[in-house]
Amino acid sequence: MRRSWVVAVMLLVGGCTGPVRSSPVYESKAGQTAEVVASAVQTALLAVDAAEDGKAYGRYLTQVLVEAEEDAGAAQGTFDGIQPPDDRADELRARLDELLGDATDTLADLRIAARRGRFAELPELARPLPEVAAKLDEFAEAHG
Amino acid sequence: MSGRVLEAGLHLLDRQLIDSNGRLAGKVDDLELEVPSGGGPPVLTAILAGPGALSRRIGGRLGAWLEAVANRLRGGDDRRPARVSFGVVKGIGSAVDLSVPRVDLETDRLEAWTRDHLIGHLPGAGHAPE
Amino acid sequence: MRRLFSVALGILTAIGGFVDIGDIVANSETGARFGMSLAWVVVVGVIGICLFAEMAGRVATVSGRAVFDLVRERLGARMALVNLVASFFITFLTLAAEIGGVALAIELATSVNYLLWVPIVAFLVWLVVWRVKFDVMENAFGLLGLALVVAAVALWRLGPDWGGLLHGATHPVVPQGEGHPTWWFFGIALLGAAMTPYEVFFFSSGAVEEGWSRGDLITNRLNVYIGFPLGGLLSLALMAGATLFLEPRGIEPGHLSQVALPTLLVLGKLGLAVLLVGFFAATFGAALETGLSCGYSIAQYFGFQWGKFVRPADAPRFHLVVLLSILAGAGLVLTTVDPITVTEYSIVLSAAALPLTYFPILVVANDPDYMGDKVNSRFTNALGSIYLLLLLVVAVATIPLMILTKAGS
Repeated sequence: MRRSWVVAVMLLVGGCTGPVRSSPVYESKAGQTAEVVASAVQTALLAVDAAEDGKAYGRYLTQVLVEAEEDAGAAQGTFDGIQPPDDRADELRARLDELLGDATDTLADLRIAARRGRFAELPELARPLPEVAAKLDEFAEAHG
Repeated sequence: MSGRVLEAGLHLLDRQLIDSNGRLAGKVDDLELEVPSGGGPPVLTAILAGPGALSRRIGGRLGAWLEAVANRLRGGDDRRPARVSFGVVKGIGSAVDLSVPRVDLETDRLEAWTRDHLIGHLPGAGHAPE
Repeated sequence: MRRLFSVALGILTAIGGFVDIGDIVANSETGARFGMSLAWVVVVGVIGICLFAEMAGRVATVSGRAVFDLVRERLGARMALVNLVASFFITFLTLAAEIGGVALAIELATSVNYLLWVPIVAFLVWLVVWRVKFDVMENAFGLLGLALVVAAVALWRLGPDWGGLLHGATHPVVPQGEGHPTWWFFGIALLGAAMTPYEVFFFSSGAVEEGWSRGDLITNRLNVYIGFPLGGLLSLALMAGATLFLEPRGIEPGHLSQVALPTLLVLGKLGLAVLLVGFFAATFGAALETGLSCGYSIAQYFGFQWGKFVRPADAPRFHLVVLLSILAGAGLVLTTVDPITVTEYSIVLSAAALPLTYFPILVVANDPDYMGDKVNSRFTNALGSIYLLLLLVVAVATIPLMILTKAGS
């Protein structure tokens, strides 16, 4: 039911991470990956908001951020495992990978800080996220 | 047992057996009929209960599978289905009431085995829950 | 006065016990994806379960026998066996999902990985089934489950645009950018979650466990007609929370932590803590119910002694089935498959099997041999038949839709 689960299932059905036959299929998988990662980024943003307002337990926050990073990482890993069918797909992949990299890097920073109990630093570390989220949404819109 | 004529299919099969203590003792899985030596209609002599009897009635793939499972569980060479003589049937209503406690019945074999070898060993098995 | 108290207890327990991991996941995911446009499915599901739970409770109350017990007598051994296999499989899957759900809830509270909690949870579930009295068990977890009300409280505190929410609920329109088949698929999952078969078996067997008799018929009806709809409102509160906080941001909740976000953002730490208690109680209670239901269904088909109202030594095979089911369920979760995924499968497959599990109830509830003068009224039968038709349509549509939408992509 969730997109992240579906991407994984689709790959199993589509013969693991072999080549994808057509470019539109690859494009839609790219779009879906962007949606999944955007969801993780937005979750992290909400969590950081809650932290700023002093509304959350450290443990819960850490859990949310860890899960967000895991989700984003898993989606990226799954997508990277797909063989791009042609050159255009290569280009798509490069663009998405850049976005995904930004997302996972920032999410990792947040996770590290949270695990160390440095909750005060979170809002600052999360600065790049809204822009990343916007770009991911744009990407998903264009290719989903 | 009075000579009540019952439509066996509708009134007896798959009914619950209840022993003299009100405990559940299985279902009427099948019926044993005997043709009296002097001729005449077959007479109901016993109720058969247990997966062995049931699987035969269900038949087909499902029954065969059930039979295999049952034989697995029963082990040993005793492949007969458990038999409840009609003599112990006290009354037939929505369920079949028996005049003996279930420990006296053949159908209790598997239940007793489970109790003695597995469940009975767990602490608190003999106590009512609190 | 005493009577009033026990009725109130019954109702409260019904409310708190209504929601399980399937409802939590289904309502949250649906709200995040489709807003309130599928809220009507929850209403349909609640009416359905009220209808059939009342029937099942009435059967047990009047005849002293649980519904499943009578299914074999009425429908024959073969048909009932098919029913048993389907029901048992789904109930078992739900049991695994609930065990996973408890572990996830504890993980959220403790930050200790959920897999480590699974064996402990399984043991505790078994222990409670083994030692705790039926009504104590039901009351304790039912009342504790009321903690989920905090999700509704959070909504109320937020003071959202009620008109907007209501509009979304009363105008079931597929949101922009989503496909119709996916919408229907989520609707089916939601229905499966609201009407999971075990709820009816358990309710019926529970009536026998608690020794209900004719005098309790009214209590039975009150518990069902008041308790279940209010429980359904809790489900809708989760859906609304997801609609207000998750949908606008495109967040798809795949973790319990995300389901908790709306409550957290409105009510802060205290709200979150209460919600976690609610998650724990709801899933643990459901684990107990599904575990017992695994035992009930098998024991009631084959006719051996079942129930917590006898000493375990007097119902050894029943307890063995329950024990093995819990172990196997825990085993399934320990394969590290995502418990949320197990939940999703369990509710979808429940939807596919609904007519199979609900049809016998309608048949038994109409049988004058068991029910005497308390057979179904014509209205009940009419409504019940309409529902069976609906469930048949849903069941037939489930697998094709699942394949078509790639399980809700």
